[in-house]
Amino acid sequence: MSDETPHTTMGFFTDVTLCIGCKACEVACKQWNELPSDGFKLSGNSYDNTNRLGASTWRHVAFVEQMDRLEPDLSRWMMMSDVCKHCTNAGCLEACPTGSIIRNEFNDVYVQPDICNGCGYCVPSCPFGVIAIQPDDGRAQKCTLCYDRQKDGLEPACAKSCPTDSITFGPVLELKAKAEKRVEDLRARGQEVQIYGLGEQMGAVGNLNAFFVLPDRPEVFNLPPNPVLPSTFQPAAYTSLAVAIGVMAVASFAIFGKNA
Amino acid sequence: MIDDRPREAASYTPDDVAASMARGDGGFGRDQQSYYDHPILQKPHWGWEIEWYFYLGGIASGSALLAMVADRSGQSASAPLVRNGRYAAMIGAAASGLLLVMDLGRPERFLNMLRIVKLKSPMSVGVYALLSFSATASLAAAEQLHADGVLPFNLARLLPKPLRLLAIGASSALLGSYTGVLVSATAIPVWFSGRRFLPAIFVCSATSNACALQLALLALTPGSHVATMRKLERLEAFAAFGEVLLLQAYRRSARSLGDPLFRGALGNRLKAGTEVLGIAVPLVLNLSSGFSKSSHDGPVHRGRTLLAAGLTLLGGYLLRTAVLRAGKVSADDPRAYINHMNPS
Repeated sequence: MSDETPHTTMGFFTDVTLCIGCKACEVACKQWNELPSDGFKLSGNSYDNTNRLGASTWRHVAFVEQMDRLEPDLSRWMMMSDVCKHCTNAGCLEACPTGSIIRNEFNDVYVQPDICNGCGYCVPSCPFGVIAIQPDDGRAQKCTLCYDRQKDGLEPACAKSCPTDSITFGPVLELKAKAEKRVEDLRARGQEVQIYGLGEQMGAVGNLNAFFVLPDRPEVFNLPPNPVLPSTFQPAAYTSLAVAIGVMAVASFAIFGKNA
Repeated sequence: MIDDRPREAASYTPDDVAASMARGDGGFGRDQQSYYDHPILQKPHWGWEIEWYFYLGGIASGSALLAMVADRSGQSASAPLVRNGRYAAMIGAAASGLLLVMDLGRPERFLNMLRIVKLKSPMSVGVYALLSFSATASLAAAEQLHADGVLPFNLARLLPKPLRLLAIGASSALLGSYTGVLVSATAIPVWFSGRRFLPAIFVCSATSNACALQLALLALTPGSHVATMRKLERLEAFAAFGEVLLLQAYRRSARSLGDPLFRGALGNRLKAGTEVLGIAVPLVLNLSSGFSKSSHDGPVHRGRTLLAAGLTLLGGYLLRTAVLRAGKVSADDPRAYINHMNPS
C-alpha cells in the first residue's frame, strides 16, 4: 500500500493537550459497542484503573502524573485517550490467516466477528498491543472505528462524547492539516509537542489513521517510539528456514545414501 | 452489575513507587521511561496445545523425512526405519491437527482457515503445510499398510512416485520449520531478534528429535538394526551440533532482547534441559555405544539407546516450551520494546 492517503480514509486525531481525563470516551465506547465490564479494581497508580487497551477496552485514558519535587511549578498532569491506530500497514491484518481482518471502505482495519476463529496470531503481531482475544468469547476484538455508526454517517461514539474535542474524527487528510496547525500554534506559545503517528518515525508501519499530538515522549503514554511491522522479519526468517532445510537434506542423503 | 472476572493485577507495587521516588525516575518525574511499566504489547494466548503442537509437528515431519530418505536409499536393511517413520508421521500429523484445532478460541470455525490462501501470513502457510503433510503422510502410511499386508490395495498409487516424494519432502520440511517463521514474524522482541536463527534451530531440533524417536523405535523393533542406527546417530549428532551453534549465535546477536530466553528460569531450562541433558548427554551416550566393539549386536545397548533418545526428546520439548514461554515474558517487558533499536 502506498503512503498516499486517499481522500476517503477516515480516522481519529487525538490531541493530548486538550484531554481532561473525564473518560467519557471509554464509557461511550463500552456502551455503544456493548463491551463487557472489566471488573472493579483499583490500580493504585493514578485515576487510571483500566491500565491498557484490550479485547473489552477499545478506548483507554492514560493518566500521567509528573510530580517534580524540586521544581513543583513544573509538575503536570497529562491525560491521553489511546485507541487502535488503524495502521496503513497493519500487522494484525497481515497476520490474519482467515481473512477475518479486512480494510473496509473507510480504509480502517476491521475484524469481521463472524469469520474470526480465535487463532490469536494477530495478537503478538500488533506493534501497539491493541488487539486481544476476549477469553469468554474466543475471538480477537478491537476498535472498529464505529464501522456501524460510520455507515450511517455518524461519528464514532468516543469522538461524539468528547467534551473538549480532544478526540476529533474525520477524513485523515483534514485531520492531518489540523494537527500540523495545532502543533505550530502550541510551539509558538512555547509548548514542546510532537505528532505521533505520521511520517518517518513509524517506519514500515506507515502513517497511522489514528494519530496523536503528544506533549512528551511516546513511551510516557505507553506508545512504542519505534513500532515494528512483523512481516518485515519474514525474509530473514524464511532464509534461515531454507538454508537449514537444505543443509539437513544434504546431510541426511549423504549419511543414508551410502551402503553400510 | 459488577463483573468479577480475573484481570491483570497492577504491575506497579508500593515498593516500586518507593524505589522510583528514591531514583527520581519512573512514573513521578520528567525522566519517565515508561507508563507505570505496563506492557506495551499483548501476549499470545497459546498454551500447552501449541507447545505440544510445535513439538509433535517437528518430530512427525522429521520422521516422515527420515522414512523418505531411508526409502530412497533402497536398502532392505532400512525397511524397519521406513515402516516406523511412516507410521510415526501419520500419528503425529493426526495429533498435530487435533492440537491446532483445540487451541483455537472458536474450534468449530477451524475451516475458516481454508477460506483463503495467504502467503503473507505464516499462520496460513502453516495450516496448508499441515494439511498437505497430513495428506502425504496418510498416503505413505497407506503404502506401508499395503506393504505390511493390512490393506489389499495400494492407495499411494493414486499419485505417481516422484510427485509423492516431492509432496512429502516439501510439506514435511515446511511443517517442521514454519513455526520458527511464525514466532519470528511478530512484534515480540525476544522472537523477532531471533529471526535469523529460530527457524533453523527448529529444523535442527526436529531432525535430532525425529532421529531419537526412530532410534528408540528401532531399539524396540525385533532384529538387529545396527547399521541403520549408526546412521541415525550420526545425523542426530550433526543436527544437535548445529542446534547448539545456532543457539549461541542467537544469544550473541539478540543481546538484552534475548534475556527472557537465555537468562532466568527459562535460561536454566534451555541450558540444563536442552543443551546439557538433551544434547550433550545423549551425544556422549551414543558415542560410547558407537565406539564399543560389541555394538554390532543392537540389543546389547538397548537401554543406553533408549535413555539417550528419551533425553533428546525431553530436550526438544524443553526447547519449544522455553521459546514459546519466553515470548510471553518478553511481551510483558515494555522497556525491551521501547529500546529494541539499541539493546544493551
